[in-house]
Amino acid sequence: MLRAAALVEKLGVPTVSIIGSGFLKQAELVAKGLGLPLAFGVYPGAPMVDSEEELKRKVEASLAPGLLRGLTEGETRAAPGPAEPEAGSIVFTGTLDEIEEHFYRQLWTDGLPIIPPTRERVDAFLRFTDRGPDEAIRVLPQESREATIRSIAVNGVMAGCRPEYMPVLIAVVEAMSDPNFHIEHAGSTPGWEPLVIVNGPLIKALEFNYGQGVMRVGRQANTSIGRFVRLYLRNICGYRIPPGAGDKGSIGYTFNVALAEDEDTAREIGWPTYAMDQGFDAGENVVTVRSVVCITPPTYSAGARAVDHVQQFADVMGATFTYWSHTGMKRGYWHPLIVVGPSIARVIAREWSKGDVRRYLYENVKVTAARATHYARMTSTPTFSLERLVAEGVLPPEYAALSDPERLVRVFIHAEMTGILVAGDPGRNQSRGYMGNHDQGPPVSRRVELPKRWNELLARARR
Amino acid sequence: MNKPVQKNDLEQRFEVLWPLARRVVKDTAGAPRVPDLNGKTICELWDVIFRGETIYPLVREHIRAKFPGARFVEYSEFGNFYGPHGDKISQALPAKLRAHGCDAAIVGIGA
Repeated sequence: MLRAAALVEKLGVPTVSIIGSGFLKQAELVAKGLGLPLAFGVYPGAPMVDSEEELKRKVEASLAPGLLRGLTEGETRAAPGPAEPEAGSIVFTGTLDEIEEHFYRQLWTDGLPIIPPTRERVDAFLRFTDRGPDEAIRVLPQESREATIRSIAVNGVMAGCRPEYMPVLIAVVEAMSDPNFHIEHAGSTPGWEPLVIVNGPLIKALEFNYGQGVMRVGRQANTSIGRFVRLYLRNICGYRIPPGAGDKGSIGYTFNVALAEDEDTAREIGWPTYAMDQGFDAGENVVTVRSVVCITPPTYSAGARAVDHVQQFADVMGATFTYWSHTGMKRGYWHPLIVVGPSIARVIAREWSKGDVRRYLYENVKVTAARATHYARMTSTPTFSLERLVAEGVLPPEYAALSDPERLVRVFIHAEMTGILVAGDPGRNQSRGYMGNHDQGPPVSRRVELPKRWNELLARARR
Repeated sequence: MNKPVQKNDLEQRFEVLWPLARRVVKDTAGAPRVPDLNGKTICELWDVIFRGETIYPLVREHIRAKFPGARFVEYSEFGNFYGPHGDKISQALPAKLRAHGCDAAIVGIGA
């Protein structure tokens, strides 16, 4: 929202922005990142839970006078920020305990101990890329810091990654830096978390887990790369929970470990891998990053027919996805991911393609228009209307084909938006669904670029 | 890189690098404020959430009580800059604001 205000200010038009009091610290941080002294009018508390009378009282007593002040008076020059260290400079010298304490107090950790980013360790990471340490992939919101190769190495060291993970870490940051990923919304209240998906020969070369316990901490590649993502969002973007300011995840949840695909099973059953679905060739090393806002229950399914399992996906995952699907309806897009257990994938693939699975979910998971509208109104949007979304071309006409509020509308807006990947315990019949946060953090993929001397470097690292 | 910890390693001192990166933004001054809103045009921009349909009319009323000559261009004129057509709407914003002779803007709602 403040980016719109900044756009208007840069036209020479003074603005004032309406901010809930709980968002003020984040707003100040975003304004600093935008380099503008934006003015705010503050609404005390949360407008969604106030009565009409209370809302009117707060607007008149607090918000409106603040807005008026913001338009008519106040400083228009940005206060300069404190001086900062040079990139790549030594910022602290101490024992391990002193470093842990210093980094924690500076809000540079995720609350867990870090590996101290000494120059020697950082240099070891930099040897695993042919790119220069000062090369910036992009200037990232919210703090407008450069996503440099060095910053990736430093945070990779801190997260407990191995140096040979560096090419994967670079691809992860490249994916998150893509404007289509909308990293500027990674601190929004739903508290979504990026999920890294890995495909290609690197899965085995770097010893990723893709089998039993695939989404648990415990395997270094999966765990430390997942941790890296959260550290990077904190340190380079500025998404920090209190006493920081940039992360407004209301409850949130912890980082996702990186998810690797069971490509052997996918190949055996004749399904394209997830990366192939994203447009890459078989055998390419690919990283995809996508948002996850909620996870379904473990979804057990039994039977020798494809429909036995996919019907269960529709029932269990559909029920979880249905509530939050109104956010996707507002934007005409959202992105679920189904992690299919290998034993289940084998049964389904005997009869159905991935496209058949997607089509079944598209056709069979539905919600009443009244319920979707209710969920939207409960969340943030009292004016939610499927009819208006159809009129604006956001949703297909079928969403407003009838006026009956009890009519059923599709939860999956388009059949092809569902991602499908094989992973998990081959000895059990369990799958799981991961829901993305509407158009924030859609799947963005990048090929992993290995350094010229990759084989030699990897062999030396693994000695 | 992963040598076993020795007894005196806990006293070993390390030099560590800054984990952040250079902040690259040029601080710029905001637009001059408008002390007297009489005769001025105030444009409303809304992301269609958090009860703006109730809040904006109340804000209008409050400002008009202090500056009876203030004019408002309501949010419906501009569209939802945070919605699915947000990029297009933001791109069109400068021309629309100019066309309306916008002197000031209220942007909401972050809550």
